[in-house]
Amino acid sequence: MNIWNISLQNIKSKPLYTFLSVFIASLSIALLLGTQQLKRSFENQIENNLGKIDVVVGAKGSPLQLVLASVLHLDNPTGNISYKEALKISKNPLIKSAVPISYGDNYKGYRIVGTTHEYPTLYSAELQKGHRVENAMEVILGNSVAQKLNLKIGDTLLSAHGLVENSIEVHDLLLTVVGILKPTQKVIDRLILTNLESIWNLHDHEGHNDIKSIDEKEITSLLIRFKSPRGLLTFPRRINERTNMQAALPKYELHKLYEYTSVGFKTISLIAYLILVISCITLFISLYKMVKERAFDLAILRTYGASNFQLIKMVFYEGFIVVFSSFLLGFLLLKIGLRFALYCMKSNNQQNILTALSFQDVLQIAMLILIMVIISVSCAIYPIIKMDVSKILSNEK
Amino acid sequence: MIQTENLTYQYKKGTAIFSFPNITLEKGENLLILGASGIGKTTLLHLLAGLLKPVTGKIYINEVALNSLKNNKLDTFRGENIGLVFQKKHAIQSLNVFDNLKARLLFSNALVTDKKIEIVLAQLGLSELKRNKVSELSEGQLQRLGIALSVIHNPQVILADEPTSSLDDKNCKIVIKLLKNQAKQTNANLIVITHDHRIKACFQNSITL
Repeated sequence: MNIWNISLQNIKSKPLYTFLSVFIASLSIALLLGTQQLKRSFENQIENNLGKIDVVVGAKGSPLQLVLASVLHLDNPTGNISYKEALKISKNPLIKSAVPISYGDNYKGYRIVGTTHEYPTLYSAELQKGHRVENAMEVILGNSVAQKLNLKIGDTLLSAHGLVENSIEVHDLLLTVVGILKPTQKVIDRLILTNLESIWNLHDHEGHNDIKSIDEKEITSLLIRFKSPRGLLTFPRRINERTNMQAALPKYELHKLYEYTSVGFKTISLIAYLILVISCITLFISLYKMVKERAFDLAILRTYGASNFQLIKMVFYEGFIVVFSSFLLGFLLLKIGLRFALYCMKSNNQQNILTALSFQDVLQIAMLILIMVIISVSCAIYPIIKMDVSKILSNEK
Repeated sequence: MIQTENLTYQYKKGTAIFSFPNITLEKGENLLILGASGIGKTTLLHLLAGLLKPVTGKIYINEVALNSLKNNKLDTFRGENIGLVFQKKHAIQSLNVFDNLKARLLFSNALVTDKKIEIVLAQLGLSELKRNKVSELSEGQLQRLGIALSVIHNPQVILADEPTSSLDDKNCKIVIKLLKNQAKQTNANLIVITHDHRIKACFQNSITL
């Protein structure tokens, strides 16, 4: 028998109160952890997709659109730029690598991107099967594309014009699958890669033109990596001022995007904090009621030789037991809830990989909860400090 | 051994002052304090238990002056040397009979084995109920548990506040007999305060407030 034991028995003797306190607290904990985890996953997802790209050069227009279109492949491109111009700026000594990409076609909704062998290295993507694109009209598939469309090496496909699935404007040249990439959990998983010639061929063939000279060839954008961060300072400005192209910084543009989208996360977080406050009030009420209702029990413990401090410890233990079980239940609710949410969103062609919460995030939330608990328990033990044992015992009659 | 000198107590300034006759009890002596309601019987008991501080006067229990003990020391002294018996409520509701006795011992340094607890429970006829919740006991059983709780730690003084007023004649006699027996076993002083004249015959020493 010790104080812990008495606390435990006290809690067991009022199961409904305990359940209610634990349930509300665990709900708020799950919500707090959940929003934090989703936010982190969202940020991580986008940051991952940036790969090793420092600057995107494309046609003039909205820089955010250029980043969304050429890096995340979520939007339409701003236009095309001259391949010759692109090659010219690629020779800048500050540049480590410049990968041209050209796109405008899709196969069943998945984008077909003409590029070089360097593109997969931006995402550290490696071949799972087959070989690289060596000739025009060969393609390699991102892992999700191969999985979802059930395509194998040697299969052929007909691309459709535009970036949305349609069966009206279908090109008549066949593309052959020669390789499949390993899964990366990045944007490259849902792309079909080929070389620049294939894209030009498809479009030249449409117009029955002869092969264009290099002067007339166009690409959509150029993905640039610098040798050192110094490049970021001068290069984009020079492009924006001296050419009819624009240079957009993906990190900067996406940071702006977060600021727009974070309102939603903030609202959910706010609701979670509100529930946390409510759960602390519930905890306070249940402990306060316990202290009031058990005034006689507590007075008896004083006659047994217990000090005020020991009684306070007992109430603290009760609060701690409630909060600790809430934390465990909250974690469980979070795991189940997120799994369920992911299951519901599975039909989307986005990758739904959750980032695990960092220890620091959990610790931060745990500290917050601890502070709230200490406040509510401190309020609840006030009657103990003010307790007049003699008066309580006299009122028995 | 108990000794009091010129005890007075006042609840609030301007209200009536209670003054109490001096009491001197040698080791093992019992005392019955009779008096009508509102005369300050419970006040005296709480003064003796160190739950109230007297305005004037001194209390010695085994030659320790209660006035000289502060906060935690007074709590511990009370836990180790005094056993209190109440009228109706005796135990902690959330614990069973056996655990209540364990909890009684938690805050004192008394070395009491589980076997001793079993013996006391047997003497008071509570052995079969030791795993029962307090709320499942009858009034007579509760009163017996109250006695068990007041003696389990071998106190110097057992203070009983109206222990018989809610009991019928038969249980009244049993409870007083048990209290006296338990006090005798540990050679403790037993002080009973009551307005219940049925038990007057059971005590040699008695004073009326």
